[in-house]
Amino acid sequence: MRRMWLGMAWLASVAAGCGTGRAIFDVDVYSFLKGTGQDTVPYFIPPNTPNLVVGSVPQRISLPGAGSSIVDSVAVFGTVDLVNRTGTGTVGLQLFLAADSAGTYTPSAAALTLSPRTVTPNTTVVDTVAGALLSSADSLFRRTALWARVAAQGSNADLVTPVQGTLVLTSLRLTVVISDKIF
Amino acid sequence: MRRSAAGIGVVVLALGAAAPAAGQWLTVDARRVGMGGLTLGRSGNAARYNAAYRAVPARGDRRGAPKVTIPVPLGLIQFFHDHPLSRLGNDPTFNPDSAGFNPIVIVNTLLTPPLYYEVKRAPTPTNDVVFGIGKDSLRVNLGQAATLVPQDQFGVGGSARVFDPGIGLRGVRVSVLGWLHDDVGFQLGDTLLAFLRDSQPAQHRTFYSVDVHGLVAAGVAPTLGYAGRVWGDTARGLYVGGAVHYYLGVSYYRTDGTAGFRTGDTIFAGPNPVTPEGRTLTQYSRPGNTPGHGVGGDVGLAWVSGPVEVGIGVNDIGATITWPDTRQDSAFYRDSSYSRPVADHVRTTTKLPVSYLANVAYTVGRTTLGADVLNTGRGVTVHVGGEQRLGLLALRGGVARDQRKRLEFGWGGGLRLGAVGLDVGFWTHTNSLSNARGITMATSLAIY
Repeated sequence: MRRMWLGMAWLASVAAGCGTGRAIFDVDVYSFLKGTGQDTVPYFIPPNTPNLVVGSVPQRISLPGAGSSIVDSVAVFGTVDLVNRTGTGTVGLQLFLAADSAGTYTPSAAALTLSPRTVTPNTTVVDTVAGALLSSADSLFRRTALWARVAAQGSNADLVTPVQGTLVLTSLRLTVVISDKIF
Repeated sequence: MRRSAAGIGVVVLALGAAAPAAGQWLTVDARRVGMGGLTLGRSGNAARYNAAYRAVPARGDRRGAPKVTIPVPLGLIQFFHDHPLSRLGNDPTFNPDSAGFNPIVIVNTLLTPPLYYEVKRAPTPTNDVVFGIGKDSLRVNLGQAATLVPQDQFGVGGSARVFDPGIGLRGVRVSVLGWLHDDVGFQLGDTLLAFLRDSQPAQHRTFYSVDVHGLVAAGVAPTLGYAGRVWGDTARGLYVGGAVHYYLGVSYYRTDGTAGFRTGDTIFAGPNPVTPEGRTLTQYSRPGNTPGHGVGGDVGLAWVSGPVEVGIGVNDIGATITWPDTRQDSAFYRDSSYSRPVADHVRTTTKLPVSYLANVAYTVGRTTLGADVLNTGRGVTVHVGGEQRLGLLALRGGVARDQRKRLEFGWGGGLRLGAVGLDVGFWTHTNSLSNARGITMATSLAIY
């Protein structure tokens, strides 16, 4: 049904377009995550941990389905709050994308990895999510749906105090540019 | 159901984009192409739409008109070079699995056969389309293409006279006319129009729909006609013509309905975010049922005075056909389909579109100029053109205003060697989003 809805708009564009051009999909991923609890990732990084990834539950994202069109690029923009309660370490956001929910748990599904930011006790670090997704993820946007999972990747060099807090996604948009070869 | 809804989208919008182009004149006569679509002589629109022209002397020699035109469709060679028959099944343009699949090209190819050779392709405009998608939002900005989303009813249709054998004596003619009436129309609903054309965001619990109308009817019409000169002589005279048709309808099928989908409480969430929905009323009278019947007529007037010729003809006046034995069925779809008979053996009517042609021609020496205005029930087309004959050669030019109210230009020439001639005509055409023109070429042989 979703595909039909989007398909109508898609067809409208290609049929009425009658010219070369691009189809640009501005997908508000955050709107799909908000209210489901999947926009928040609690993290607990034990002392002396060089790398740990903690993630949310995968969430399904509806897409128009570009068929065999070519996905030029996928840009991502968003903001995230690193609400840290205890410990000093580094925390960063990872975005996993896959064709099914199970696939988001494979390391190769990490389409975006932000450089970790240093967090300190009882502080909130506001980080900006910006960049292009790995091109390996481009083909996923030809589908009618994909699965996304937000994760916190962190490290804790302290030998005593754990790093504990919550990664809160406050916005996340994907801009998908598709070459319209049809016209 | 997804396919059907997508099909509606393709049909509606493809026809919306393609129908105006198809509504332009289509001819295989390079001479006519060279004059911007203008027809001179008795074999073109004049005889079809003006009953008086049956009595007007042909005088083909004076206006340079051939007896027979044989098209040389170089465009087909070009088309099959680009799309070889042996690989048509795997041709990216026609293969739905290919990135190059193009439904608009298919519709355009069917509506406008590629008979002309493409000398210069019209530049393809660039247009980005932006979709905004969220869990509870959807908005589309078609850019310049939004202007192509039709606000009024659009479609294809008209009436045709497929045969007309008869006998005549002293201007009176008795014949049996075979007629065919087809009409397919679409009208976007207000909500869908606002969504596509005005970039309005999708709303909750809203029906996005297209009104669909289709009609095809066929039959025969015993006809009594008259055409003759009522004043003057062959050099200067007034001709009148008329015909009364008694239409006998063999069969007709008509459907009127609405198809679309209804949004739910959220645009992309919830148990059932979008529900396809459709309803139609189908009316038909099969062959073998009591035939339809009705009376209509044609009138025509032509004035010939030396080098000047003026005519006006109107066809199918009052041609309302009553079908006394019609069955009506209704159908409704939401989640699953329901259909039930509404009535049987009821009386319904259809109406043939009134068409008209006004034309003028002026011939002096070896120069012929002319103009015509034609309406076949789907808008007006205007053609103005002329021909200058110089010994064996002929030079031609013309301009046409199509149903989209765009001006297109034609020019060309011909070489006549005795009873045989070769004509070449060029004409311009434009894409919907651009004023930049392409040029096509038509070629034909003429037998004088």
